[in-house]
Amino acid sequence: MLQLFLAATAQVLVVSIIVGAGLPGVFALGVRWMAAGAGGDAETSHAAARPACTALAVLCFALVLAVIAAGLAILISSGLGYTVSFDHVLPTFMKKG
Amino acid sequence: MNLELAILVLVVVTAIGFDFTNGFHDTGNAMATSIATGALQPRTAVLLSAVLNLVGAFLSVQVALTVTNAVVKIQDKSGMPKAQFLADNGHLLLLIVFCGLIGGIFWNLLTWLLGLPSSSSHALFGGLVGSTIAALGFGGVNWAGDGTKLDGILGKVVLPALASPVVAAIVSMIGTWIVYRVTEGVADRYRETGFRWGQIGTASLVSLAHGTNDAQKTMGVITLALIGYGSWHHTTSIPLWVKVVCAGAIALGTYTGGWRIIRTLGKGLVEIDSPQGMAAEASSAAVILASSHLGFALSTTHVATGSILGTGLGRRGAEVRWGVALRMVVAWLVTLPAAALVGAAMYGIANGLSGVAGGWLGPFVVFAMLLAMAGYLVARSRRTPIGAHNVNDDWDTGLGPTPAPSTSA
Repeated sequence: MLQLFLAATAQVLVVSIIVGAGLPGVFALGVRWMAAGAGGDAETSHAAARPACTALAVLCFALVLAVIAAGLAILISSGLGYTVSFDHVLPTFMKKG
Repeated sequence: MNLELAILVLVVVTAIGFDFTNGFHDTGNAMATSIATGALQPRTAVLLSAVLNLVGAFLSVQVALTVTNAVVKIQDKSGMPKAQFLADNGHLLLLIVFCGLIGGIFWNLLTWLLGLPSSSSHALFGGLVGSTIAALGFGGVNWAGDGTKLDGILGKVVLPALASPVVAAIVSMIGTWIVYRVTEGVADRYRETGFRWGQIGTASLVSLAHGTNDAQKTMGVITLALIGYGSWHHTTSIPLWVKVVCAGAIALGTYTGGWRIIRTLGKGLVEIDSPQGMAAEASSAAVILASSHLGFALSTTHVATGSILGTGLGRRGAEVRWGVALRMVVAWLVTLPAAALVGAAMYGIANGLSGVAGGWLGPFVVFAMLLAMAGYLVARSRRTPIGAHNVNDDWDTGLGPTPAPSTSA
């Protein structure tokens, strides 16, 4: 039992750190670059705007949205009796059982 | 009307009541951080959370009929009540479930009065364990399963409760640290506004997950009672009205907003800013989804609390009120035994009166006790009302649910 428990906990911890700490990290990068893109008062340095950074920021936010969409997919599919597999990187839906 | 039908009606009403307390007890898990940072107005936050809980409850087509199997032995693997409970229109089963639900409601209301987030599932499990012990003895309890998988009180309640706050705290601590590190050089106001959006998005995910997980439990309990009585025969589907009523009850409960608990989580534990709020909710969402995906379901409440604590640890200079955290941990430890005591006492009373008035008196006396107790606790809460208007007031003003910790035991 203890072994099962530790294994399950470790698994949850690893996945959660990657997603749960990584996601705010990517979002933070988005905010950082968005601020760089806006320049001026958005940054403590009051540097000039760098529009290219805005594009990078948009990319970050898109990634965050994609991960949230994956979360939604897991939720909805498990409610419908399906499970989502990430074995092939891209999410695939499989009937539970 | 026969006696069992009357008890069935009481069970259904009580289960809906439990579902309602489940909703308002857990509003804070998703929304406390958004309310505390001002990302959402309090009323907007509870409305959003209620709608997402409603949607979540309807999304769960799967039947959580075997919910009691985690802790007690009154059903078989398919969800059918064991044969010995089907006698007398399921009289014994109905009584056990009824008294268990009362134990759960009692603990949910008491902890709400004290402003303590505690797991509604643990309260329900505790109540069921208590009434089962009173009815069947200690052999009726599933203590640790058969050892081949995480099961029983040990594997499904105790161990997850130990793991969840720690895992969530580690994740959100790392997330918080990363977020502040990455956004160095961004002006405070710009950062605050940006993260509000992230906060709302992640909090919504937590609300939705709550709806899909928790509403199912009450649906399962009501359906179990219906099967016990003999008015429902399927183990692979539940009556539509049960689904509608449970979804409605949990959403309405969420909308009512357990403001006392929201206040403790949002203001009491740690003073948080938007970036911390997002890190906390992202951690909660990730841990809840990952754990249920891996078949190791963790309590939303324990995860959310751990996440909020973690944001305090991950940001330099942030203050964590360890006294508040300690009270919560004590409440968590006491949840199962306390709800069990009430569940057992209720069963003892109902069963003790079984010779009176053909058995009619017992269930109604117990139900009257539930109403009286709920009325008393709600009346007590009116002395120090907490609502949308003062939920965000300074913690140190001493407002609200801070009676002596000893009363929480």
